[in-house]
Amino acid sequence: MRKYLYIYKSEIMSNLQYVSNILFGFIGYFILLFVFFNLWKYLYSDPNELIHGYSMEQTIWYVIVTEILWGTVGGRKLCQKISNDVKGGNIAYNMNKPYDYVGYSLFNHLGIATIKGIIYIILGFLLGILFLRMVPSHTIITILLVLLSSIMATIISCFLIITIGLFSFLIEDSNPLYWVYSKLILILGTLFPIEFFPKIVQPILTYSPIYAVAYGPAKLFVNFSWDVCLQVFITQMIYITIGYILCKFIYNRGVKKLNVNGG
Amino acid sequence: MKAVRNIDFSVEKGEMVAFIGPNGAGKSTTIKMMTGILYPTKGSINVLGFDPTKNRRKLAYEIGTVFGQKEQLWTHLTPYDNFKFFGAIYDIPDYAVEKKIEELKELFELGDFINIPVRNLSLGQRIRCEIVASLIHEPKILFLDEPTIGLDPVVKENIRSLIKRMNKEYKTTVFLTSHDVGDIEKLCSRVIIINNGQVVLDDSMENLKYHYLNKKIVEAKMREKVNLEDEDGITILKDKGYNLKIEVDTEKRTVADALKLLNPDNIIDINISNVPLEDIISSIYRKGDKS
Repeated sequence: MRKYLYIYKSEIMSNLQYVSNILFGFIGYFILLFVFFNLWKYLYSDPNELIHGYSMEQTIWYVIVTEILWGTVGGRKLCQKISNDVKGGNIAYNMNKPYDYVGYSLFNHLGIATIKGIIYIILGFLLGILFLRMVPSHTIITILLVLLSSIMATIISCFLIITIGLFSFLIEDSNPLYWVYSKLILILGTLFPIEFFPKIVQPILTYSPIYAVAYGPAKLFVNFSWDVCLQVFITQMIYITIGYILCKFIYNRGVKKLNVNGG
Repeated sequence: MKAVRNIDFSVEKGEMVAFIGPNGAGKSTTIKMMTGILYPTKGSINVLGFDPTKNRRKLAYEIGTVFGQKEQLWTHLTPYDNFKFFGAIYDIPDYAVEKKIEELKELFELGDFINIPVRNLSLGQRIRCEIVASLIHEPKILFLDEPTIGLDPVVKENIRSLIKRMNKEYKTTVFLTSHDVGDIEKLCSRVIIINNGQVVLDDSMENLKYHYLNKKIVEAKMREKVNLEDEDGITILKDKGYNLKIEVDTEKRTVADALKLLNPDNIIDINISNVPLEDIISSIYRKGDKS
């Protein structure tokens, strides 16, 4: 484990110089939240009204948290990196090092995700307080659980995106797959809580990775309950296991067929 | 399409072997099979007692790799942080890594730049750090793939002498791939030449030179024009009237025979040299192509 923590630490040290770039990325986040803040303000004609059990503040905080999670993962870069490693043969250079490529990719990406996460959390909360002038009430324990659930959500996202990237072993370009994945997460997980969707779709979403990577932590933040907390953690643990097994399965099959030319 | 066929060789501990061949000969494929990256369809490989296809991870602890065209260092970190990182990757305790860094810092003369981010180093400094990074875990075999590519002659020479020193100090077996004849000639005691996926020569550098350096090049500037024609053991390479370049096969004719043909009184200036090793290797490549 020490080696993976070193990979994580080295990536953090490497990326500390690019904090300004990450801050620029925050402009898009600000615009999106501003649009949604105004949209929901318009839809909630009465400030005390509840839509599908959510107050206006809760709905907006939901979007703030899911966008923090999505921005923290920065999946496009991760997918491209894995895909380029596979297609360009870089993966071969990792294979003769005594670490697991999936673990290396995960901890490597968690390094940059940590820096992004801290910045997104600070700026997201500042925006939330600025727009809404309130924060959902929490104890230290519940806020730590939300944080833990968010970390697990990030790990699951990474596994799913690494899996998509590793599909480059089987298909020429995995970017279209990532595009579909990111749009599904955006529409079904980031912008609206699961309760906003038709009843027939809700069970599907509850068992889908969307519950583990977006809905779960956001729901815990906007309306914490121990029942939901337990359900979220169980789901997340199942998805972490599934995600890792999927990555390893595709990786192990892929490297056997590896064909690296030249060099 | 088969990249390599019937390759068979063994390497002794501490040997420095040049594994060379033209582009597409199968060098990289062989190295990748030896390091467990590629799986051979037939045959067996044994590297330090491990089958690379089955024990890749275990073997990784025993070998080091340097690819001149591929950075393995984190460019935003200093060499020191990189070495610490590699120490952790190979599960070496902190105190042992510190000791090794100190030792290699002296051997590879890194003192001036060990705390400067890798991105700010010159290529020569970076390659030195790449080699040190691959030695942190004291590998028994070091695979060097084009370690001096892109370096100027002075830096190349410096890198070569450091590799030699490292080999002498740690008895590390070196498996070198390079298109640079200087690397091969100055570092290796044995040469394996591969072409079209097959070993076409496996011999000591000494034998290679002895058997193939039986040709001398005589370049002469003449006072008067000489009309020479190819004879057994003498080949005219260039004839520009007053300037001649001939190749003498010393197994058939002596250099003195050639000089007699030119008439020593007629010679203004003369240069007698060996056929460059590069030409010898190229001719072996060509022979391999024909067969």
